Parts: sequence; structure tokens; C-alpha cells
Amino acid sequence: MSVEEEMKEIVAQIVHVDKSVLTREGSLRKDIKADSLDIVQAMVAVEDKFDIEIPDEEAQKFQNFGDFINYVERRVAEKEKV
Amino acid sequence: MPLKGKLTLVTGSGRGIGRAIALKLASQGSDIIVNFFRRREAAEKTAKDIEALGVKAEVIRANVGDPAKLNEMFDTIATKFGHLDILINNAASGVGRSVLDVDIKAWDWTMNINARAFLLCAQRAAKLMEGRGGKMVSITSLGSSFVLPSYAVVGISKAALEALTRYLAIELAPKGICVNAVAASAVETEALKFYIREGLMKDIRQATPAGRMVIPEDVANVVAFLCSEEAFMIRGQTVVVDGGTSVAPFITVEKEERR
Repeated sequence: MSVEEEMKEIVAQIVHVDKSVLTREGSLRKDIKADSLDIVQAMVAVEDKFDIEIPDEEAQKFQNFGDFINYVERRVAEKEKV
Repeated sequence: MPLKGKLTLVTGSGRGIGRAIALKLASQGSDIIVNFFRRREAAEKTAKDIEALGVKAEVIRANVGDPAKLNEMFDTIATKFGHLDILINNAASGVGRSVLDVDIKAWDWTMNINARAFLLCAQRAAKLMEGRGGKMVSITSLGSSFVLPSYAVVGISKAALEALTRYLAIELAPKGICVNAVAASAVETEALKFYIREGLMKDIRQATPAGRMVIPEDVANVVAFLCSEEAFMIRGQTVVVDGGTSVAPFITVEKEERR
């Protein structure tokens, strides 16, 4: 499963939505109505899943779910290189 | 150096109150395990500042609200050090909502980090303190006894933490382990500045008989005392550090009337 698919599974489970509603363009907060706790839990679950750390400063820059996916994909790729 | 040769775990010690406690106990000679969850940079900085005091620091990432991660942290401590002398249960989180808006998810998140983590940490720590005695101190808040706005689930978790402190103090007394808590009023930290507006900070300052807000070092000083041998006969207590706020709830009103 791709990073994107795995992230969709994780977020859908935490926010209790069908993963088909999760698009790269959508905002977790505005479109999916995820609250701040959902977002923290999603970050933690993604960090644990891919064994990476997402600093709050980086997370604050995410405008939509796609930004979140891109960041994680990049970090996973960096990790694989090492 | 009253704590020379001791090993202390301070949960949530990258920033704020936890960091101040870690530095205080390090200044008294204890080696420190700096636990953090979200901000590695801050934890590394705390560790560096601890080492500058001439003691050892170890950084361990773990969400104490997750039993598996908490156990991994204690497995690391057990393997690497084989013992523990002091446990400071400081890590906390919470969802600011009124009682009627608290859902199961917010309840579980807050209770698991603020209250259950101490249960699980104390169970593991007690084994590492076996045969050598030890100290456990939890950081709680006035919200355990008083109603604060949007603080319901955190206040309830802190009340549970204080009750747990009493039960543990009695159960662990025969093992030479002292268990206590420190309850602070609003402590001037970066986290607090993030959550409340400056106007409210000013109100808190004015309502504090001691004339200023509580700072992390005020809490750290009392924690250090509770970790000392001088505090040996204090068991199961929650020591309040609030500059007199809780015993003088009407002090601001009185000041205004005088004007």
C-alpha cells in the first residue's frame, strides 16, 4: 500500500469518515471537520506508522491533506535513502 | 549535591514546568531521563543544559498516554540503567471544553495522559526502585479542586491523579517510596501563553496575593524539596503552589472595593 493510501486509512479511522471523502485538495479541519484532537491523533498515528517525527512548526504549514501527504512521503523517502 | 548518583525520570521535560524540574534536580546532582512526546528539539536542548550542570542526560521519546510506548520507555530504562530513584509525573495534555461538550475521545485522551500514565509509570517505576526506596511526585493543578473555565476533563483527570497519589503513597510506603503531588495555579509558561489571552494573564497576576504569577521554578523548588530526605514524613499529600490564590478567592474584589 502506498504512503497516501496508508495515511488515508489512518485518518479515516481516527476522524470516523469514509476514506473516499479524503482528497489531496481537502482541508482536514474545514472539509472533514476534524477537530484539533483528531489532528494531533492523526499526526501521532502517522508518526508511529512510518517511524518519523513531524515537528509542529512543519505541521502548521499544511494547507490541505495533500501537503500532509507530500511531507510524509518526502520524509519516508529520506529515511529509505539512509 | 543531595541527589548525587540518583537517577530521575521527568515525563514531559522538554519544556515548561518539566524542564524546570529536570534542571533543578540536575543542579542537585541527579542524572536525568528527559522524556518528550512532540518536540525533540526542545528535549535535546533540555538535555544539553542538564549536561552543562555536570550530570548525565538521556532523551527518550514516548507518548505516555500510549501504554505500549510507555512500556518501551521503561524497557529502555531497565535495560540501560537497571534502576530508578525518582519519578516525576509531569507530562500532561487536555482538551479545553465544558462538561457537556466532552466526548469519549477527549475524555480518554486526557485521562490516559494525565491520570492513567501515572498509574502505569508508578507500577513500572516501583519495580525499578525495589530495595533502594525512591520518590514519586506528580504535577497537578488547582483545577482538581476548583472549577475553572473549559477545564472540566483536565480538572477531573487531575483529581484522579491526586487520589492515585494518596493510594500509591500508602501502598508504596513499606517499600520506602514517598509519593506526593504538587498542585500549581496557572503557571507562566509558553503553553499557557498559547492557550489564554494576555488580559486573563493580567487578571491572574492581579488575583495572586503573592503579587506575580507562579513560574516553573516555583514548582520545581517544591518538587526538589519533596525529593529530599527532609520530606521523608510527607506522604500522599498535594502541596499547593499558587501564591495564595486558593485561600483568598475574593482578594481582587476587596482590592477593587478599596479603590
